[in-house]
Amino acid sequence: MLRRFFDWLERETGIVSAWDRFWSQPLPSTVGWGQIFGALLLLCLVILFVTGGAMMFYYSPTPEQAYASVQYIEHYLPFGKFIRALHYWTARIIVLLLIVHIARVFIWGAYKKPRQMIWVTGVLLMLCVIGFGLTGYTLPWDQKAYWGTSVRLKIAEGIPLIGHAVANFLRGGEQLGAVTLMRFYVLHVFVLPILIFVLVVWHIRQVHTLGVTPAWVKVGQEEEIPKTQRLHPDQTARIGFGAISLVAILLFLSVKFPAPLEPRANPLDTAYKPHPDFYVLWLHELLKLFPPQLEFVGSFILPSILVILLLIVPFIDRNPERHPLRRLPAITTGLAILFAIIALNIKGMEALPQPEKLSPLAKRGQELFVELRCYTCHGINGGGGPVGPDLGLGGKRDPKFVETILRNPGSFNAHTVMPAYNLPPEEMRALVTYIVSIGPNSRMPPIPPVEPEKPPSHFEENWFANHKFEVRKDPESCGSCHKPFFCQACHQNRRPSSHDEMWLKFHFGNAAEQPAMCNSCHTPDYCEECHKLMRHDTEWLKGHGVQLAKFGERKQWSGWTMHQLCYQCHTKQSCNDCHEGAVPESHKAPDFMQKHGELAKVEFESKALVARKAQQACVTCHTKQFCDNCHIGKKPKSHEQPNFVLQVARDERRVKSGHALEALKKGIQSCQTCHAQQFCSNCHGTEMPHPKNFVDVHIAEARRDMALCQRCHVWDEPNCKQCHSKRPPSHTPDFRQTHPQRIADGGLSCQVCHGRNSCIDCHKLPMPHPSNFVKAHGELAKQRGIRGKDSVQRLQKQLCVNCHTDRYCRNCHLPEPVRR
Amino acid sequence: MTRRKWLDKFVKMAATVIAAVLGIPSLALLAIPAFRREQSLWVRVGPLSDFRPNEPRPVTLSYQRRDGWVIKTARTTVYVVVFGDGKIKVLSNICTHANCAVRWERSKEGFYCPCHDGLFAIDGSVKSGPPPRPLDEFQHKVEGGELFVKLRG
Repeated sequence: MLRRFFDWLERETGIVSAWDRFWSQPLPSTVGWGQIFGALLLLCLVILFVTGGAMMFYYSPTPEQAYASVQYIEHYLPFGKFIRALHYWTARIIVLLLIVHIARVFIWGAYKKPRQMIWVTGVLLMLCVIGFGLTGYTLPWDQKAYWGTSVRLKIAEGIPLIGHAVANFLRGGEQLGAVTLMRFYVLHVFVLPILIFVLVVWHIRQVHTLGVTPAWVKVGQEEEIPKTQRLHPDQTARIGFGAISLVAILLFLSVKFPAPLEPRANPLDTAYKPHPDFYVLWLHELLKLFPPQLEFVGSFILPSILVILLLIVPFIDRNPERHPLRRLPAITTGLAILFAIIALNIKGMEALPQPEKLSPLAKRGQELFVELRCYTCHGINGGGGPVGPDLGLGGKRDPKFVETILRNPGSFNAHTVMPAYNLPPEEMRALVTYIVSIGPNSRMPPIPPVEPEKPPSHFEENWFANHKFEVRKDPESCGSCHKPFFCQACHQNRRPSSHDEMWLKFHFGNAAEQPAMCNSCHTPDYCEECHKLMRHDTEWLKGHGVQLAKFGERKQWSGWTMHQLCYQCHTKQSCNDCHEGAVPESHKAPDFMQKHGELAKVEFESKALVARKAQQACVTCHTKQFCDNCHIGKKPKSHEQPNFVLQVARDERRVKSGHALEALKKGIQSCQTCHAQQFCSNCHGTEMPHPKNFVDVHIAEARRDMALCQRCHVWDEPNCKQCHSKRPPSHTPDFRQTHPQRIADGGLSCQVCHGRNSCIDCHKLPMPHPSNFVKAHGELAKQRGIRGKDSVQRLQKQLCVNCHTDRYCRNCHLPEPVRR
Repeated sequence: MTRRKWLDKFVKMAATVIAAVLGIPSLALLAIPAFRREQSLWVRVGPLSDFRPNEPRPVTLSYQRRDGWVIKTARTTVYVVVFGDGKIKVLSNICTHANCAVRWERSKEGFYCPCHDGLFAIDGSVKSGPPPRPLDEFQHKVEGGELFVKLRG
């Protein structure tokens, strides 16, 4: 089946025979182990292509997500760590193999005619590999990536004239950021792979057509070496052995040493010192050989000369000999350059920070450093949080001083946010030993990842300074990871900036709107500490005076009066909002409550008086509603009609309006819902309405105070006449003579039947005589024209003698003394 | 030609081994999302004492949600119903008809959806209106007096 498919493929394309031809290519007998490196390089490229392609599925080339996506590959995907490590180690091994391959080709003289272009494409391939290394370096966007790239771009800027343009071209702008990362990514996964693919195909194709150079043969005599081997299986077996060894080494390295991933890029962490990879160390050393203003010679001109030199090697070295000993000038120059590079590299490696040699005690201290999470605030030559000082900086430390600071950070700086660490002596000694040992070459110990991972916002610039705004936006969100005491770690020594002197006055509004904010630091019962006595609800308002008094007794807060506590929130004027002014003297009288109605009546009804006594009037302190506090309920509508109390308009039969009508219509019970039974008698002076047997007693009542009856009743009322048309029992037959003695009430009771003028009908004079009658009785006589002795006699006869005897006048008018 | 055959076999074997070492992890890296199930997570709602019996209360939950390597702060509103007998139900506030947000209305004795006048009873069942099924219910648990709700991660 398979054979038939291949037969068909062969017929259609000829690819099968081409494949067979390729592998059965005859090779000169001197080709051997030295010639396997090209194939191993190809294997490396394939490994890089496959692992890189797999990682591309999960990588996101943006500054916000790049690091997180690399972490995702590392921690969340099976084989992710392995694939990335394999990519990392292959990228390093390929550089070594490249050097070996170039050196081998150079020593064998394989670049000589007719294979010049194989060499040239090989050099271009080397440049491509370097390009891959430079661009791939940036992609993880960790500290090393960011700062290493930043240093490299700075070197590019050092090139005179074009430097800035070149750097900006690579960066995609003035700043190292999102555009830079995307450019490097596209170069790494699109531009360079296409380039390298074309070059690889070209390179191999040329090798295939021109054949592998046999050893030590002069140019033009290659055909003399017999071709006793074939590519497969003679050379492929050697390659296979090399490949298996290479893969074994790579597997070992990848499993044993995972690719490093430093903390996320932090553009603010200027303390971070990136260290170059081993294969570019010699370039860095080269830089150091030149003074700063000539740095570009080391960074740009010399490497460029080197590349150009490499490119034109086949065209300079026209010596037809291939044996190394017969072309010493070329070999010595080449080896000299190679050894110079290796020497520079070794020198560079010496300058690299040596791995620390920690004593067991310091090692324990380092573990504590990680355990206690010191790194969240302090870095060690970079890394770590931006809060505390970097421990890599600064000179030698005194162990006692370090211990003092650890135990009591406030002793050094009263406003520090560093929490105190009171460790047992053993652990303290270990930690102090470690901290003292930290120098400029120390590195941050590996930090195990803490779950859950920090969200990207925590890596933004100025996160630490701005975290308070995030907390305000959504305290719940912070609470989903952090416990309340997380804030306390720093804030027990430093209150949030909102908590300034005025804070206490205004905190209630914030607390009411966002209780979760307060709860992020304070426990819920924190409020109770102060507010125990001050639940400002309706109940509280009623009793707050009492509470104030009680507080004075308790003296719970020594040196605090309740008023001072009130003034934390309220101004002194706020009491006056209700308690305006002091209680006036009048209110202190013992019978004030009984009398206040009278006072109020005067004040409310007499506006003039209110104006005059404005200072004392009720309304200065009390609103009219104040009365309702006791005088529950308002007056009914009916009571508001004009003259409700006084109106007594009436018709023939009964009262028609005013309060009496109201009382009659609704029944006296409706009045008595508010008014006491005696309320009527306040004005009426008698029981109202009149009880059933009132008729029997009304005479006595009328005699007591006839004016009371007159308030409502008029004289000629039919009701009265019903009874009073008969002669009353008092009118005995001798009444006419005796009635003056009987009239007790000044004649009012007579008027009930006889009318106001009935006396005058008989007496022709107002009866009983008005109070000024004595004075006027002479005048009265004159007015009436009664003059002379006769007239006086007549008048006396007519009027006065009816009641008075002659002698009555003499009580006053004494007889004239006898004239002599 | 035994040597030749042996070498041929060795080369083919070496190629297979290298292909396997390289290919299996790479393919596994790609294929893994096919076998992973969406993870759910328990979110703390708050102390149980915050809720009064027969008085559904809306709670807005704020939690970290993972979308691949992106961690987002997500918010969900749930109604916590504590019945008189102490039974607890945690209901979604999304109407099952047209995904509007329902709210508890005391006067109507139910969860009212203002979009099409849907009304759900206190236990989430449909009282009236167009909703085709009761309100979705979330799994919950009580640990140490605190209520937790299981949300789809």
